[in-house]
Amino acid sequence: MLEKVWIIARKELTDNLRDRRSTILSLLYPLIGPVLLGALVLFVGSTLTAPKVQEHVVVAQGSDNAPEFVAFVREQGADVVETEIEDVADAVRKGMHSSILVFPEDFADTFGDERNAEIQLYIDSSRLSSIMSIGRTVELINRFNRNTADTRLAAHEVDPQIAYPLTMKSVNVAASLSISGIFLNMMAPFLMFNIFIGGVYLAIDATAGERERGSLEPLLANPVPRWQFMLGKYIASFLFTALAVLMAIVAYKSIFSGLGMLGVGIKVNPGLSDFTFVFILCIPIMLMAVAIQMIVATVSKSFKETQTYLGLLPLLPALPGMIMVFVPIQASAWAMLIPTYGQTILIGQLVRGETPDYGFMALSCLATTVVAMVLLVMAARLYNRENMAFAN
Amino acid sequence: MIEVRNLRKSFKELVAVENVSFSAKDGEITGLIGPNGAGKTTTMRILYTIMRPDSGQALVDGFDAVADPQQVQRRIGVLPDNRGLYPRLTAREHVRYYGRLHGMKGEALESAIEEMIDTLVMRDVADRRTKGFSKGQTLKVALARALVHKPHNVMLDEPTNGLDVDSSRAVRDMVRRIRDEGRCVLFSSHIMSEVQALCDRIIVMGHGRIVAEGTPDDLADLTGEADLEEIFVAIARDEAELKKRTEFEALKETLDA
Repeated sequence: MLEKVWIIARKELTDNLRDRRSTILSLLYPLIGPVLLGALVLFVGSTLTAPKVQEHVVVAQGSDNAPEFVAFVREQGADVVETEIEDVADAVRKGMHSSILVFPEDFADTFGDERNAEIQLYIDSSRLSSIMSIGRTVELINRFNRNTADTRLAAHEVDPQIAYPLTMKSVNVAASLSISGIFLNMMAPFLMFNIFIGGVYLAIDATAGERERGSLEPLLANPVPRWQFMLGKYIASFLFTALAVLMAIVAYKSIFSGLGMLGVGIKVNPGLSDFTFVFILCIPIMLMAVAIQMIVATVSKSFKETQTYLGLLPLLPALPGMIMVFVPIQASAWAMLIPTYGQTILIGQLVRGETPDYGFMALSCLATTVVAMVLLVMAARLYNRENMAFAN
Repeated sequence: MIEVRNLRKSFKELVAVENVSFSAKDGEITGLIGPNGAGKTTTMRILYTIMRPDSGQALVDGFDAVADPQQVQRRIGVLPDNRGLYPRLTAREHVRYYGRLHGMKGEALESAIEEMIDTLVMRDVADRRTKGFSKGQTLKVALARALVHKPHNVMLDEPTNGLDVDSSRAVRDMVRRIRDEGRCVLFSSHIMSEVQALCDRIIVMGHGRIVAEGTPDDLADLTGEADLEEIFVAIARDEAELKKRTEFEALKETLDA
């Protein structure tokens, strides 16, 4: 019985693999996510691991007025460089320097008189890459401030502790030690996208396409129950989807390992077992996604119409994941019942190096598989429709 | 043996086939003829299990197309109106795919494929992908895949439509050969001369009904015309007149009442 199903699936796979362009494209799509994420981690990782204080250079104007500050900075191992630029604000806005510290003409007098002296730090807060460098400059200014205060208070025989009632130390409890770990959260929505895109071309071509080319009518006159035709095409699309998702996961693993070896960005490098779980979690969604594709391809009137519907579809499951990148949601049983939603949470946990609840994983897989099977039965019923074979 | 009893099929308000009954015997070529929209294709689609009738029966070797579609499908070879190919498969792969779907395999399948390639004189294109095939080449592939399992009943919907003279003749020769092997052929066409030359029995359809039936000679006697094309035009005219008359009578009845 299932021999015919396999004959149909094999024909669809052969047919689709011979379509070079769409095959290559559908195998390149899965790489977009990993490459993009890798680039993000590399970029953000390098900006966030800025040079240490010792290597920092404060760009200043009017530093001749503040020899004490220059001396202090050099003492700390950093350096101050004077700039001749006329329009300081413009230079910062254009990104020529991360920040420019400006000492006014009367700085020396005010400072010498132990009065409060104003200095100006020009920054561009919309420039993400400057954050670390600005932080270093601010840190040096604060150190100088405190150091000077200590000296002055001591000269007046006051205990400097009076001036600083609080000392704060923050304790970071995140499992991923680096902020770039947040980008790992983007893996789940990217994977959802892969799942809904991976075998979609084959699903459309094998149903709506076959109908439009007029080859479905003679095909359905062969002595095979209609549901077996549906199942054969379904299996072929599923295998293609699985291949695309597997490629994506292998690419993620390779890129993360590569970045790990370079010592850039992520401190948490999900292991092989984590990725195996990720793939297992994806399987029920693949079953569901392909069933939806078969239904849409059967119901829509043409290849084009099918493409329109199925082009929008991947956005839907990817959406909750996109939000969760910034607002992580707690795992809960009801969330596991919602296909793609539960998996997004669980995949996020896996790649962040947390251990998800195995019961939740099983529940999520089961719930989505049930939905997939219901949809599959619907697809088989639709294949029995009389006008199934005809384009009009 | 193909049999149709009181077939009726409508699409919404349009009645495509109404009260159609006929049989196509083994060892005969039965021609379905009629203008476009006469109901030929719908009748055939019901017979080869793609459509379901509203009422009536379609039987192939005694098996009901609705109740027992698989038994029917096993006994038929079909060239439908839609005869699309897979552009990325070779001609041979098309034939092999259908052979496999009929449960053929191994050496038996391969030699059956070889035989079809020889019969249809298509060796030159057998291992070429079908993208860009001419109408004639496409038809040969469609015929080969429909007949590779040597079905006892063969249904061909307008097989010579759009073919050049040589290809049309090749198709006609093959149809005769199938008949001579004692198999049953149901053949539809709107080309009168072709049906006249080829068919043992002719069923003329118009407006979803059978309007005449018989051997080519019977039909000639019936209308007093020797040329089937004239017969057909005559029947179509009569049909139109009949319809007018019925409408007139209905109108008269309404006026009388």
